[in-house]
Amino acid sequence: MLWKDKYELGVPLIDKQHKELFRRVEDFIKTIRSSASWQDKLQRVNETLEFMKVYVVEHFHDEEEYQKRIGYPGYAEHKKIHADMVSYVCQASKDYERGNYNEMYMQQLAGKLLSWLINHVASEDQRIAKYAIEKGVANDEH
Amino acid sequence: MSTDIFSPFLDATRSVFSLMFDISNIGERPADSFDFNDTISICIGVTGDLEGNILYKFHNDTSLKMVNIMSGMEIDTVDDFVTSAISEIANIISGNVLTMFAADDIKCDILPPVLECPEDNRVYAFTNVFCVSTSIGEVCIDIKLNPKKK
Repeated sequence: MLWKDKYELGVPLIDKQHKELFRRVEDFIKTIRSSASWQDKLQRVNETLEFMKVYVVEHFHDEEEYQKRIGYPGYAEHKKIHADMVSYVCQASKDYERGNYNEMYMQQLAGKLLSWLINHVASEDQRIAKYAIEKGVANDEH
Repeated sequence: MSTDIFSPFLDATRSVFSLMFDISNIGERPADSFDFNDTISICIGVTGDLEGNILYKFHNDTSLKMVNIMSGMEIDTVDDFVTSAISEIANIISGNVLTMFAADDIKCDILPPVLECPEDNRVYAFTNVFCVSTSIGEVCIDIKLNPKKK
């Protein structure tokens, strides 16, 4: 399982979204890595890719709104990190479509996403949590 | 430039292995006995106040163990998925190094990871090759950097 309890930040709103984000990325990676032939799993790969992409954008947006709401000082920098990742995922997705749905593009995207997501949640997002806890707004759900 | 260029690489690698792989017992040793066969070589270009390349060499076995820890999956072959995950780890370590450099007012950027560094006959002012030893294997880091020409 991709999610580990140690990734919990102590901010219920973000933790809930992170678990969903990890679930969708895990679905995507498991589909990519399953033993079925690429042709046989192509439709499922494309479905989980879209499902994952939609949630990545949605989660980043919600997390940025949360940062604004609590006055997180690293907001602009964090937003840029999100924007760069969305741009990478969109470009990889375009390359995949233009590359006739070649497996290589998705294996590369899945590998990058795995390391990036774990580092982002375990490192970058910890700073938001630290700030929220210090400000006493970690349980702010709205 | 009086700043210690090399320590941040060890510190950043130690930090990433601790945070992402729960491995805290990390040592440094010379690269003399490092087996350069069966490795993934990831090159990260550096631009800015320092210019050059950082080459990370991860043994295949070590790479597979790292990906297995992160994914919770048993993966036994180095393929595009594993290479991409390890490339991102090299990218993350390098990004952390740059943050440490920035604290000493050395401003640099990194280029996206590529497999192997381009052939290059330049002479570098700052060179070092060392290994980071962990419980899941070793990583060799080959640093070649020059101060930016003024």
